[in-house]
Amino acid sequence: MDIFNPVFWIFVATTGGIYTIMALGLYVQFSLAGLPNFGHVAFMAVAAYAMAILVARYGLPLPVGILGGLVAAVILAILVGVPALRLRADYLAIATVAGGEIVRYLAMNLQGLTGGPIGSIGLLGPGKIATFNGSWQVFMGDIAFYLKPIFGKYGRPDTAMAIVVWVFAFAAILVLWRMERSPWGRVMQGIREDDTAVAAIGKNVVGFKMQALIIGALLGAVSGMLLALQIGVFSPDDYQPTITFYAYLIIILGGMNRIWSVPVGAILFTLLYTGTRFLNVYPLTLFDSGERAYLRLFLVGLLLVLFLAFRPQGIFGDRRQILEK
Amino acid sequence: MLLKVDGITKAFGGVKAVQGASFDVKEGSITALIGPNGAGKTTAFNLVSGFMRPDEGTIQFDGRRTERLSGHTVARHGLVRVFQTARVFTQMTVLENLLIAARHQPGEKFGAAWLMPGRTSRREREIRREAEERLALVRLTHLTHERAGALSGGQRKLLELARALMVQPKMILLDEPMAGVAPVLGEQLMEHIKELREKAGITVLIIEHDIDLVMSISDRVIVMDEGRVIADGPPDAIQANERVITAYLGRNAGAAA
Repeated sequence: MDIFNPVFWIFVATTGGIYTIMALGLYVQFSLAGLPNFGHVAFMAVAAYAMAILVARYGLPLPVGILGGLVAAVILAILVGVPALRLRADYLAIATVAGGEIVRYLAMNLQGLTGGPIGSIGLLGPGKIATFNGSWQVFMGDIAFYLKPIFGKYGRPDTAMAIVVWVFAFAAILVLWRMERSPWGRVMQGIREDDTAVAAIGKNVVGFKMQALIIGALLGAVSGMLLALQIGVFSPDDYQPTITFYAYLIIILGGMNRIWSVPVGAILFTLLYTGTRFLNVYPLTLFDSGERAYLRLFLVGLLLVLFLAFRPQGIFGDRRQILEK
Repeated sequence: MLLKVDGITKAFGGVKAVQGASFDVKEGSITALIGPNGAGKTTAFNLVSGFMRPDEGTIQFDGRRTERLSGHTVARHGLVRVFQTARVFTQMTVLENLLIAARHQPGEKFGAAWLMPGRTSRREREIRREAEERLALVRLTHLTHERAGALSGGQRKLLELARALMVQPKMILLDEPMAGVAPVLGEQLMEHIKELREKAGITVLIIEHDIDLVMSISDRVIVMDEGRVIADGPPDAIQANERVITAYLGRNAGAAA
Protein backbone atom coordinates (compact mmCIF):
# COMPACT_ATOMS: atom_id res chain seq x y z
CA MET A 1 0.00 0.00 0.00
CA ASP A 2 1.27 3.45 -0.66
CA ILE A 3 0.39 6.62 1.09
CA PHE A 4 -1.55 8.08 -1.86
CA ASN A 5 -3.92 5.16 -2.17
CA PRO A 6 -7.43 6.06 -0.93
CA VAL A 7 -7.93 2.46 0.17
CA PHE A 8 -5.22 3.03 2.75
CA TRP A 9 -7.04 6.10 4.04
CA ILE A 10 -10.33 4.23 4.23
CA PHE A 11 -8.51 1.68 6.34
CA VAL A 12 -7.11 4.43 8.58
CA ALA A 13 -10.56 5.96 8.94
CA THR A 14 -12.19 2.66 9.90
CA THR A 15 -9.48 1.77 12.38
CA GLY A 16 -9.55 5.30 13.82
CA GLY A 17 -13.31 5.04 14.27
CA ILE A 18 -13.06 1.68 16.01
CA TYR A 19 -10.32 3.05 18.28
CA THR A 20 -12.56 6.03 19.00
CA ILE A 21 -15.30 3.71 20.26
CA MET A 22 -12.76 1.72 22.28
CA ALA A 23 -11.33 4.89 23.86
CA LEU A 24 -14.82 6.27 24.55
CA GLY A 25 -15.42 3.25 26.77
CA LEU A 26 -12.30 4.06 28.72
CA TYR A 27 -13.29 7.74 28.72
CA VAL A 28 -16.51 6.93 30.58
CA GLN A 29 -14.69 4.79 33.12
CA PHE A 30 -11.47 6.72 33.61
CA SER A 31 -12.07 10.33 32.59
CA LEU A 32 -15.65 10.55 33.79
CA ALA A 33 -15.87 8.31 36.85
CA GLY A 34 -12.16 8.11 37.71
CA LEU A 35 -12.03 4.31 37.49
CA PRO A 36 -8.54 3.15 36.50
CA ASN A 37 -9.38 0.26 34.19
CA PHE A 38 -6.18 -1.38 33.00
CA GLY A 39 -7.92 -4.35 31.44
CA HIS A 40 -10.14 -2.61 28.89
CA VAL A 41 -8.96 -5.06 26.22
CA ALA A 42 -10.72 -7.88 28.10
CA PHE A 43 -14.14 -6.42 27.27
CA MET A 44 -13.15 -6.31 23.60
CA ALA A 45 -11.85 -9.87 23.66
CA VAL A 46 -14.79 -11.37 25.53
CA ALA A 47 -17.30 -9.76 23.19
CA ALA A 48 -15.44 -10.75 20.03
CA TYR A 49 -15.11 -14.34 21.23
CA ALA A 50 -18.72 -14.60 22.39
CA MET A 51 -19.91 -13.30 19.02
CA ALA A 52 -17.64 -15.53 16.96
CA ILE A 53 -18.43 -18.63 19.01
CA LEU A 54 -22.20 -18.11 18.79
CA VAL A 55 -22.04 -17.55 15.04
CA ALA A 56 -19.36 -20.01 13.92
CA ARG A 57 -19.96 -22.86 16.36
CA TYR A 58 -23.64 -22.64 17.02
CA GLY A 59 -24.70 -21.27 13.65
CA LEU A 60 -26.73 -18.45 15.18
CA PRO A 61 -27.42 -15.32 13.15
CA LEU A 62 -24.94 -12.47 13.53
CA PRO A 63 -27.31 -10.10 15.40
CA VAL A 64 -27.71 -12.79 18.07
CA GLY A 65 -23.94 -13.14 18.17
CA ILE A 66 -23.53 -9.38 18.64
CA LEU A 67 -26.12 -9.38 21.41
CA GLY A 68 -24.26 -12.29 23.01
CA GLY A 69 -21.03 -10.30 22.82
CA LEU A 70 -22.62 -7.35 24.62
CA VAL A 71 -24.08 -9.60 27.32
CA ALA A 72 -20.71 -11.29 27.83
CA ALA A 73 -19.00 -7.92 28.33
CA VAL A 74 -21.62 -6.83 30.87
CA ILE A 75 -21.20 -10.08 32.80
CA LEU A 76 -17.44 -9.56 32.87
CA ALA A 77 -17.92 -5.98 34.09
CA ILE A 78 -20.12 -7.20 36.93
CA LEU A 79 -17.68 -10.00 37.82
CA VAL A 80 -14.83 -7.51 38.08
CA GLY A 81 -16.87 -4.67 39.56
CA VAL A 82 -18.72 -6.37 42.40
CA PRO A 83 -15.63 -7.28 44.38
CA ALA A 84 -13.35 -4.42 43.24
CA LEU A 85 -15.58 -1.33 43.18
CA ARG A 86 -16.05 -1.33 46.93
CA LEU A 87 -12.32 -1.05 47.39
CA ARG A 88 -9.96 1.82 46.70
CA ALA A 89 -9.21 2.72 43.09
CA ASP A 90 -5.80 1.04 43.11
CA TYR A 91 -7.43 -2.33 43.76
CA LEU A 92 -9.63 -1.89 40.72
CA ALA A 93 -6.49 -1.22 38.68
CA ILE A 94 -4.99 -4.51 39.86
CA ALA A 95 -8.23 -6.46 39.40
CA THR A 96 -8.68 -5.21 35.84
CA VAL A 97 -5.09 -6.01 34.82
CA ALA A 98 -5.60 -9.51 36.20
CA GLY A 99 -9.04 -9.81 34.59
CA GLY A 100 -7.64 -8.89 31.19
CA GLU A 101 -4.89 -11.47 31.40
CA ILE A 102 -7.23 -14.16 32.70
CA VAL A 103 -9.48 -13.64 29.68
CA ARG A 104 -6.55 -13.88 27.27
CA TYR A 105 -5.11 -16.98 28.87
CA LEU A 106 -8.53 -18.64 28.94
CA ALA A 107 -8.93 -17.88 25.24
CA MET A 108 -5.51 -19.37 24.64
CA ASN A 109 -6.10 -22.54 26.63
CA LEU A 110 -9.80 -23.42 26.37
CA GLN A 111 -9.13 -24.87 22.94
CA GLY A 112 -12.40 -26.73 22.75
CA LEU A 113 -14.35 -23.50 23.08
CA THR A 114 -12.15 -20.77 21.59
CA GLY A 115 -9.95 -22.48 19.05
CA GLY A 116 -6.91 -21.87 21.27
CA PRO A 117 -3.79 -20.05 20.10
CA ILE A 118 -4.69 -20.19 16.41
CA GLY A 119 -7.78 -18.13 17.17
CA SER A 120 -11.14 -17.83 15.48
CA ILE A 121 -10.13 -19.93 12.45
CA GLY A 122 -9.93 -22.94 14.73
CA LEU A 123 -13.39 -22.53 16.22
CA LEU A 124 -14.72 -25.61 14.44
CA GLY A 125 -11.79 -27.77 15.46
CA PRO A 126 -8.86 -29.03 13.41
CA GLY A 127 -9.22 -29.40 9.67
CA LYS A 128 -12.07 -26.92 9.30
CA ILE A 129 -11.83 -23.21 8.73
CA ALA A 130 -14.37 -21.29 10.73
CA THR A 131 -15.72 -17.90 9.69
CA PHE A 132 -18.13 -15.63 11.51
CA ASN A 133 -18.29 -12.45 9.50
CA GLY A 134 -19.94 -13.69 6.32
CA SER A 135 -23.27 -12.00 6.90
CA TRP A 136 -21.51 -8.81 8.00
CA GLN A 137 -19.69 -8.69 4.66
CA VAL A 138 -22.96 -9.23 2.83
CA PHE A 139 -24.45 -6.38 4.86
CA MET A 140 -21.51 -4.08 4.01
CA GLY A 141 -21.84 -5.10 0.38
CA ASP A 142 -25.51 -4.08 0.44
CA ILE A 143 -24.64 -0.68 1.86
CA ALA A 144 -21.83 -0.33 -0.68
CA PHE A 145 -24.37 -0.81 -3.45
CA TYR A 146 -26.11 2.36 -2.36
CA LEU A 147 -22.79 4.17 -1.97
CA LYS A 148 -21.78 3.51 -5.58
CA PRO A 149 -23.60 6.55 -7.00
CA ILE A 150 -21.87 8.84 -4.51
CA PHE A 151 -18.40 7.34 -4.18
CA GLY A 152 -18.00 5.74 -7.61
CA LYS A 153 -15.35 3.06 -7.62
CA TYR A 154 -14.74 3.65 -3.92
CA GLY A 155 -18.30 2.71 -3.03
CA ARG A 156 -16.86 -0.49 -1.64
CA PRO A 157 -17.66 -2.63 1.42
CA ASP A 158 -14.73 -1.14 3.33
CA THR A 159 -16.09 2.38 2.71
CA ALA A 160 -19.43 1.16 4.05
CA MET A 161 -17.65 -0.18 7.13
CA ALA A 162 -15.92 3.16 7.73
CA ILE A 163 -19.27 4.95 7.55
CA VAL A 164 -21.03 2.49 9.86
CA VAL A 165 -18.21 2.78 12.39
CA TRP A 166 -18.20 6.58 12.39
CA VAL A 167 -21.99 6.87 12.56
CA PHE A 168 -21.89 4.74 15.68
CA ALA A 169 -18.91 6.63 17.11
CA PHE A 170 -20.55 10.03 16.66
CA ALA A 171 -23.86 8.82 18.04
CA ALA A 172 -22.06 7.52 21.13
CA ILE A 173 -20.15 10.79 21.55
CA LEU A 174 -23.35 12.81 21.22
CA VAL A 175 -25.23 10.70 23.78
CA LEU A 176 -22.36 10.80 26.27
CA TRP A 177 -21.65 14.48 25.67
CA ARG A 178 -25.14 15.38 26.82
CA MET A 179 -25.08 12.86 29.68
CA GLU A 180 -21.84 14.39 30.89
CA ARG A 181 -23.53 17.78 31.22
CA SER A 182 -26.55 16.40 33.03
CA PRO A 183 -26.97 15.87 36.79
CA TRP A 184 -25.80 12.30 36.15
CA GLY A 185 -22.49 13.63 34.84
CA ARG A 186 -22.23 15.96 37.82
CA VAL A 187 -22.39 13.02 40.22
CA MET A 188 -19.76 11.23 38.11
CA GLN A 189 -17.49 14.27 38.33
CA GLY A 190 -18.00 14.32 42.10
CA ILE A 191 -17.04 10.66 42.32
CA ARG A 192 -13.93 11.30 40.26
CA GLU A 193 -12.90 14.04 42.67
CA ASP A 194 -13.86 12.57 46.04
CA ASP A 195 -16.09 9.52 46.26
CA THR A 196 -16.29 9.65 50.07
CA ALA A 197 -17.77 13.14 49.90
CA VAL A 198 -20.31 11.92 47.33
CA ALA A 199 -21.35 9.07 49.62
CA ALA A 200 -21.68 11.57 52.48
CA ILE A 201 -24.33 13.47 50.54
CA GLY A 202 -26.38 10.33 50.06
CA LYS A 203 -25.43 9.11 46.58
CA ASN A 204 -24.91 5.42 45.89
CA VAL A 205 -21.29 5.63 44.78
CA VAL A 206 -20.87 1.93 44.05
CA GLY A 207 -24.00 2.00 41.90
CA PHE A 208 -22.74 4.94 39.85
CA LYS A 209 -19.32 3.36 39.43
CA MET A 210 -20.97 0.15 38.26
CA GLN A 211 -22.93 2.12 35.66
CA ALA A 212 -19.71 3.67 34.36
CA LEU A 213 -17.96 0.32 34.30
CA ILE A 214 -20.80 -1.30 32.36
CA ILE A 215 -21.19 1.54 29.83
CA GLY A 216 -17.45 1.45 29.26
CA ALA A 217 -17.58 -2.33 28.89
CA LEU A 218 -20.37 -2.07 26.29
CA LEU A 219 -18.40 0.44 24.22
CA GLY A 220 -15.32 -1.73 24.55
CA ALA A 221 -17.40 -4.70 23.41
CA VAL A 222 -18.66 -2.86 20.33
CA SER A 223 -15.14 -1.86 19.36
CA GLY A 224 -13.85 -5.38 19.93
CA MET A 225 -16.56 -6.88 17.75
CA LEU A 226 -16.09 -4.28 15.00
CA LEU A 227 -12.36 -4.96 14.96
CA ALA A 228 -13.05 -8.70 14.66
CA LEU A 229 -15.60 -8.13 11.90
CA GLN A 230 -13.25 -5.84 10.01
CA ILE A 231 -10.36 -8.28 9.99
CA GLY A 232 -12.40 -11.49 9.87
CA VAL A 233 -9.97 -13.56 11.91
CA PHE A 234 -8.51 -12.98 15.34
CA SER A 235 -6.51 -14.81 17.95
CA PRO A 236 -5.70 -14.28 21.62
CA ASP A 237 -2.57 -12.41 20.51
CA ASP A 238 -4.75 -9.62 19.14
CA TYR A 239 -5.86 -8.85 22.70
CA GLN A 240 -2.52 -8.12 24.34
CA PRO A 241 -2.55 -5.73 27.34
CA THR A 242 -0.88 -3.11 25.10
CA ILE A 243 -4.28 -2.48 23.45
CA THR A 244 -5.53 -1.02 26.75
CA PHE A 245 -2.60 1.39 26.73
CA TYR A 246 -3.43 2.46 23.19
CA ALA A 247 -6.77 3.54 24.61
CA TYR A 248 -5.00 5.48 27.37
CA LEU A 249 -2.69 7.13 24.86
CA ILE A 250 -5.69 8.19 22.77
CA ILE A 251 -7.35 9.81 25.78
CA ILE A 252 -4.14 11.48 26.90
CA LEU A 253 -3.26 12.67 23.37
CA GLY A 254 -6.56 14.43 22.91
CA GLY A 255 -6.98 15.80 26.40
CA MET A 256 -8.10 13.82 29.39
CA ASN A 257 -11.44 15.46 30.12
CA ARG A 258 -12.69 16.49 26.71
CA ILE A 259 -15.01 14.05 24.99
CA TRP A 260 -14.67 15.68 21.56
CA SER A 261 -10.94 15.20 21.70
CA VAL A 262 -11.34 11.42 21.83
CA PRO A 263 -11.87 11.02 18.04
CA VAL A 264 -9.01 13.44 17.39
CA GLY A 265 -6.73 11.44 19.65
CA ALA A 266 -7.88 8.23 18.00
CA ILE A 267 -7.15 9.49 14.48
CA LEU A 268 -3.74 10.85 15.51
CA PHE A 269 -2.94 7.56 17.15
CA THR A 270 -4.05 5.55 14.11
CA LEU A 271 -1.96 7.73 11.80
CA LEU A 272 1.02 7.32 14.06
CA TYR A 273 0.50 3.61 14.37
CA THR A 274 -0.22 2.75 10.75
CA GLY A 275 2.08 5.53 9.55
CA THR A 276 5.18 3.97 11.04
CA ARG A 277 5.13 1.49 8.18
CA PHE A 278 6.08 4.36 5.89
CA LEU A 279 9.24 5.00 7.85
CA ASN A 280 11.21 3.27 5.11
CA VAL A 281 13.77 6.03 4.73
CA TYR A 282 17.47 6.01 5.53
CA PRO A 283 18.72 5.46 8.26
CA LEU A 284 15.69 3.47 9.39
CA THR A 285 16.13 1.19 6.38
CA LEU A 286 19.14 -0.20 8.20
CA PHE A 287 16.57 -2.17 10.20
CA ASP A 288 14.54 -4.72 8.33
CA SER A 289 10.78 -4.22 8.10
CA GLY A 290 10.05 -6.69 10.88
CA GLU A 291 12.24 -4.75 13.26
CA ARG A 292 10.74 -1.49 12.12
CA ALA A 293 7.33 -2.80 13.11
CA TYR A 294 8.52 -2.71 16.69
CA LEU A 295 9.44 0.95 16.32
CA ARG A 296 5.78 1.82 16.58
CA LEU A 297 5.64 0.31 20.04
CA PHE A 298 8.64 2.41 21.06
CA LEU A 299 6.94 5.44 19.60
CA VAL A 300 3.72 4.77 21.48
CA GLY A 301 5.60 4.44 24.76
CA LEU A 302 7.76 7.48 24.09
CA LEU A 303 4.76 9.63 23.23
CA LEU A 304 2.89 8.54 26.33
CA VAL A 305 5.85 9.54 28.51
CA LEU A 306 6.49 12.82 26.67
CA PHE A 307 2.85 13.87 26.86
CA LEU A 308 2.54 13.08 30.54
CA ALA A 309 5.78 14.95 31.24
CA PHE A 310 5.24 18.07 29.16
CA ARG A 311 1.58 18.33 28.30
CA PRO A 312 -0.44 16.26 30.77
CA GLN A 313 -3.62 18.05 29.70
CA GLY A 314 -3.29 16.70 26.16
CA ILE A 315 -3.76 18.72 23.00
CA PHE A 316 -7.02 20.40 23.99
CA GLY A 317 -7.22 19.89 27.74
CA ASP A 318 -7.10 22.48 30.48
CA ARG A 319 -3.83 22.22 32.38
CA ARG A 320 -5.32 23.56 35.61
CA GLN A 321 -7.81 20.70 35.76
CA ILE A 322 -5.00 18.17 35.87
CA LEU A 323 -2.56 19.92 38.16
CA GLU A 324 -4.53 21.93 40.70
CA LYS A 325 -6.00 20.38 43.75
CA MET B 1 -34.33 10.17 71.24
CA LEU B 2 -33.31 10.77 67.64
CA LEU B 3 -30.07 8.79 67.88
CA LYS B 4 -29.44 5.85 70.22
CA VAL B 5 -26.01 4.27 70.25
CA ASP B 6 -25.70 1.12 72.33
CA GLY B 7 -22.47 -0.68 73.14
CA ILE B 8 -20.64 -0.09 69.85
CA THR B 9 -17.18 -1.55 69.46
CA LYS B 10 -14.60 -1.12 66.73
CA ALA B 11 -11.10 -2.55 66.63
CA PHE B 12 -8.40 -1.95 64.02
CA GLY B 13 -6.15 -4.97 64.28
CA GLY B 14 -5.18 -5.01 67.96
CA VAL B 15 -6.17 -1.41 68.64
CA LYS B 16 -9.62 -1.01 70.13
CA ALA B 17 -10.62 2.46 69.02
CA VAL B 18 -14.13 2.25 70.42
CA GLN B 19 -14.96 -0.30 73.10
CA GLY B 20 -18.56 -0.45 74.12
CA ALA B 21 -19.60 3.19 73.79
CA SER B 22 -23.25 4.05 74.47
CA PHE B 23 -24.93 7.45 74.20
CA ASP B 24 -28.13 9.12 73.06
CA VAL B 25 -28.83 12.36 71.26
CA LYS B 26 -32.12 14.11 71.90
CA GLU B 27 -34.06 15.53 68.99
CA GLY B 28 -33.50 19.26 68.52
CA SER B 29 -30.45 19.42 70.76
CA ILE B 30 -26.88 20.53 70.23
CA THR B 31 -24.80 17.77 71.77
CA ALA B 32 -21.02 17.94 72.03
CA LEU B 33 -18.75 14.92 71.90
CA ILE B 34 -15.45 15.69 73.59
CA GLY B 35 -12.44 13.78 74.85
CA PRO B 36 -8.66 13.72 74.64
CA ASN B 37 -6.87 12.77 71.41
CA GLY B 38 -7.29 9.10 70.62
CA ALA B 39 -10.47 8.81 72.70
CA GLY B 40 -12.32 7.36 69.72
CA LYS B 41 -14.53 10.32 68.82
CA THR B 42 -13.91 10.34 65.09
CA THR B 43 -14.24 6.55 64.92
CA ALA B 44 -17.56 6.88 66.76
CA PHE B 45 -18.60 9.39 64.08
CA ASN B 46 -17.57 7.02 61.31
CA LEU B 47 -19.63 4.26 62.90
CA VAL B 48 -22.70 6.41 63.47
CA SER B 49 -22.62 7.82 59.93
CA GLY B 50 -22.30 4.37 58.35
CA PHE B 51 -18.80 4.93 56.95
CA MET B 52 -17.56 2.07 59.13
CA ARG B 53 -19.35 -0.95 60.48
CA PRO B 54 -19.22 -1.62 64.22
CA ASP B 55 -17.89 -5.02 65.31
CA GLU B 56 -20.58 -5.09 67.98
CA GLY B 57 -23.43 -2.95 69.23
CA THR B 58 -26.45 -1.29 67.72
CA ILE B 59 -27.23 2.16 66.36
CA GLN B 60 -30.75 3.46 66.00
CA PHE B 61 -31.50 6.65 64.11
CA ASP B 62 -35.01 8.06 63.80
CA GLY B 63 -36.51 4.71 64.79
CA ARG B 64 -34.41 2.70 62.31
CA ARG B 65 -31.54 0.35 62.96
CA THR B 66 -28.62 1.72 60.93
CA GLU B 67 -25.47 -0.10 62.06
CA ARG B 68 -25.49 -2.35 58.97
CA LEU B 69 -26.36 0.38 56.47
CA SER B 70 -23.81 2.02 54.19
CA GLY B 71 -22.87 5.68 54.47
CA HIS B 72 -24.98 6.93 51.61
CA THR B 73 -28.11 5.17 52.92
CA VAL B 74 -27.64 6.66 56.38
CA ALA B 75 -27.26 10.09 54.75
CA ARG B 76 -30.51 9.54 52.85
CA HIS B 77 -32.30 8.73 56.09
CA GLY B 78 -31.32 12.20 57.26
CA LEU B 79 -28.08 11.77 59.18
CA VAL B 80 -25.43 13.76 57.32
CA ARG B 81 -21.82 14.21 58.32
CA VAL B 82 -19.36 17.01 57.69
CA PHE B 83 -15.70 16.06 57.60
CA GLN B 84 -12.86 17.28 59.76
CA THR B 85 -10.94 18.62 56.78
CA ALA B 86 -13.51 20.05 54.40
CA ARG B 87 -14.08 17.79 51.41
CA VAL B 88 -15.46 20.14 48.79
CA PHE B 89 -15.27 19.31 45.08
CA THR B 90 -12.42 21.61 44.14
CA GLN B 91 -12.89 21.39 40.36
CA MET B 92 -16.54 22.38 40.56
CA THR B 93 -17.90 25.84 41.14
CA VAL B 94 -19.28 26.77 44.54
CA LEU B 95 -22.80 26.54 43.12
CA GLU B 96 -22.22 23.10 41.58
CA ASN B 97 -20.97 21.89 44.95
CA LEU B 98 -24.46 22.53 46.28
CA LEU B 99 -26.40 21.37 43.23
CA ILE B 100 -24.80 17.92 43.34
CA ALA B 101 -25.99 17.40 46.92
CA ALA B 102 -29.69 17.99 46.25
CA ARG B 103 -32.05 15.07 46.59
CA HIS B 104 -34.67 13.74 44.21
CA GLN B 105 -33.06 14.91 40.98
CA PRO B 106 -34.45 12.43 38.42
CA GLY B 107 -31.69 13.59 36.06
CA GLU B 108 -29.20 11.58 38.09
CA LYS B 109 -30.54 8.38 36.58
CA PHE B 110 -28.63 7.15 33.57
CA GLY B 111 -30.18 8.32 30.32
CA ALA B 112 -32.52 10.78 32.04
CA ALA B 113 -30.94 13.73 30.23
CA TRP B 114 -32.36 12.18 27.03
CA LEU B 115 -35.46 10.44 28.29
CA MET B 116 -36.93 13.04 30.64
CA PRO B 117 -35.29 16.37 29.92
CA GLY B 118 -38.36 18.31 31.10
CA ARG B 119 -38.52 16.84 34.59
CA THR B 120 -34.75 17.10 34.94
CA SER B 121 -34.54 20.78 34.09
CA ARG B 122 -37.63 21.65 36.15
CA ARG B 123 -36.10 20.03 39.22
CA GLU B 124 -32.76 21.65 38.35
CA ARG B 125 -34.38 25.10 38.55
CA GLU B 126 -35.84 24.32 42.00
CA ILE B 127 -32.50 23.02 43.21
CA ARG B 128 -30.73 26.09 41.91
CA ARG B 129 -33.06 28.41 43.79
CA GLU B 130 -32.53 26.44 46.97
CA ALA B 131 -28.76 26.47 46.48
CA GLU B 132 -28.73 30.22 45.97
CA GLU B 133 -30.66 30.70 49.20
CA ARG B 134 -28.20 28.53 51.09
CA LEU B 135 -25.27 30.43 49.65
CA ALA B 136 -26.81 33.72 50.75
CA LEU B 137 -27.25 32.26 54.23
CA VAL B 138 -23.57 31.37 54.60
CA ARG B 139 -22.63 34.63 52.83
CA LEU B 140 -20.83 33.03 49.91
CA THR B 141 -23.04 34.51 47.19
CA HIS B 142 -20.17 36.61 45.81
CA LEU B 143 -18.28 33.36 45.14
CA THR B 144 -21.17 31.51 43.42
CA HIS B 145 -19.31 30.87 40.17
CA GLU B 146 -15.83 30.63 41.64
CA ARG B 147 -14.10 27.26 41.59
CA ALA B 148 -14.32 25.75 45.08
CA GLY B 149 -10.58 25.01 44.91
CA ALA B 150 -9.95 28.75 45.18
CA LEU B 151 -11.73 29.06 48.54
CA SER B 152 -9.97 29.46 51.89
CA GLY B 153 -10.16 26.74 54.51
CA GLY B 154 -12.88 28.54 56.45
CA GLN B 155 -14.93 29.26 53.34
CA ARG B 156 -14.67 25.58 52.39
CA LYS B 157 -16.11 24.63 55.77
CA LEU B 158 -19.02 27.02 55.27
CA LEU B 159 -19.55 25.56 51.80
CA GLU B 160 -19.49 22.03 53.13
CA LEU B 161 -22.00 22.93 55.80
CA ALA B 162 -24.28 24.45 53.16
CA ARG B 163 -23.81 21.35 51.01
CA ALA B 164 -24.79 19.07 53.90
CA LEU B 165 -27.96 21.11 54.37
CA MET B 166 -28.90 20.56 50.71
CA VAL B 167 -29.43 16.89 51.66
CA GLN B 168 -32.16 18.11 54.06
CA PRO B 169 -30.86 16.33 57.13
CA LYS B 170 -32.69 15.75 60.41
CA MET B 171 -29.35 15.57 62.14
CA ILE B 172 -25.89 16.73 61.26
CA LEU B 173 -22.52 15.46 62.50
CA LEU B 174 -19.77 18.06 62.67
CA ASP B 175 -16.19 16.88 63.18
CA GLU B 176 -14.15 19.76 64.60
CA PRO B 177 -15.78 22.48 62.53
CA MET B 178 -13.55 25.18 64.04
CA ALA B 179 -10.22 23.52 63.32
CA GLY B 180 -8.18 25.62 60.92
CA VAL B 181 -10.80 28.32 60.53
CA ALA B 182 -9.96 32.02 60.88
CA PRO B 183 -11.60 33.51 64.02
CA VAL B 184 -14.02 35.77 62.13
CA LEU B 185 -15.32 32.91 59.98
CA GLY B 186 -15.34 30.71 63.07
CA GLU B 187 -17.79 33.01 64.80
CA GLN B 188 -19.96 33.05 61.71
CA LEU B 189 -19.83 29.25 61.56
CA MET B 190 -20.87 29.01 65.20
CA GLU B 191 -23.84 31.28 64.57
CA HIS B 192 -24.91 29.09 61.69
CA ILE B 193 -24.76 26.02 63.85
CA LYS B 194 -27.00 27.66 66.45
CA GLU B 195 -29.39 28.77 63.73
CA LEU B 196 -29.61 25.25 62.38
CA ARG B 197 -31.32 24.15 65.52
CA GLU B 198 -33.37 27.28 66.14
CA LYS B 199 -34.68 27.91 62.64
CA ALA B 200 -34.54 24.54 60.89
CA GLY B 201 -34.93 22.28 63.92
CA ILE B 202 -31.89 20.27 62.94
CA THR B 203 -30.21 18.21 65.65
CA VAL B 204 -26.46 18.72 65.91
CA LEU B 205 -23.77 16.39 67.21
CA ILE B 206 -20.42 18.12 67.29
CA ILE B 207 -16.86 17.08 68.05
CA GLU B 208 -14.92 20.08 69.30
CA HIS B 209 -11.74 20.72 71.25
CA ASP B 210 -12.38 24.30 72.31
CA ILE B 211 -13.93 23.71 75.73
CA ASP B 212 -15.21 27.27 76.19
CA LEU B 213 -17.01 27.04 72.90
CA VAL B 214 -18.46 23.63 73.70
CA MET B 215 -19.77 24.87 77.03
CA SER B 216 -21.33 27.95 75.47
CA ILE B 217 -23.32 26.31 72.68
CA SER B 218 -24.19 22.79 73.72
CA ASP B 219 -27.15 21.54 75.71
CA ARG B 220 -25.40 18.34 76.58
CA VAL B 221 -21.86 17.06 76.61
CA ILE B 222 -20.72 13.49 76.11
CA VAL B 223 -17.16 12.73 77.16
CA MET B 224 -15.20 9.84 75.68
CA ASP B 225 -11.89 8.42 76.85
CA GLU B 226 -10.12 5.29 75.65
CA GLY B 227 -13.04 4.24 73.52
CA ARG B 228 -15.67 4.51 76.23
CA VAL B 229 -18.17 7.13 77.32
CA ILE B 230 -17.03 8.28 80.75
CA ALA B 231 -19.46 11.11 81.37
CA ASP B 232 -22.68 12.46 79.93
CA GLY B 233 -24.65 15.45 81.14
CA PRO B 234 -25.26 19.19 80.99
CA PRO B 235 -22.15 21.39 80.50
CA ASP B 236 -21.91 22.61 84.13
CA ALA B 237 -22.02 19.11 85.55
CA ILE B 238 -19.37 17.94 83.07
CA GLN B 239 -17.00 20.75 83.99
CA ALA B 240 -17.12 19.66 87.62
CA ASN B 241 -16.88 15.91 86.86
CA GLU B 242 -13.76 14.39 88.37
CA ARG B 243 -13.37 11.62 85.84
CA VAL B 244 -13.42 14.18 83.07
CA ILE B 245 -10.76 16.29 84.73
CA THR B 246 -8.65 13.18 85.19
CA ALA B 247 -9.03 12.18 81.58
CA TYR B 248 -8.02 15.62 80.37
CA LEU B 249 -5.23 16.40 82.77
CA GLY B 250 -3.77 12.93 83.09
CA ARG B 251 -4.15 10.41 85.86
CA ASN B 252 -1.39 11.71 88.09
CA ALA B 253 -2.59 15.28 87.98
CA GLY B 254 -6.09 14.04 88.73
CA ALA B 255 -4.88 12.05 91.71
CA ALA B 256 -2.85 14.99 92.99
CA ALA B 257 -5.87 17.24 92.70
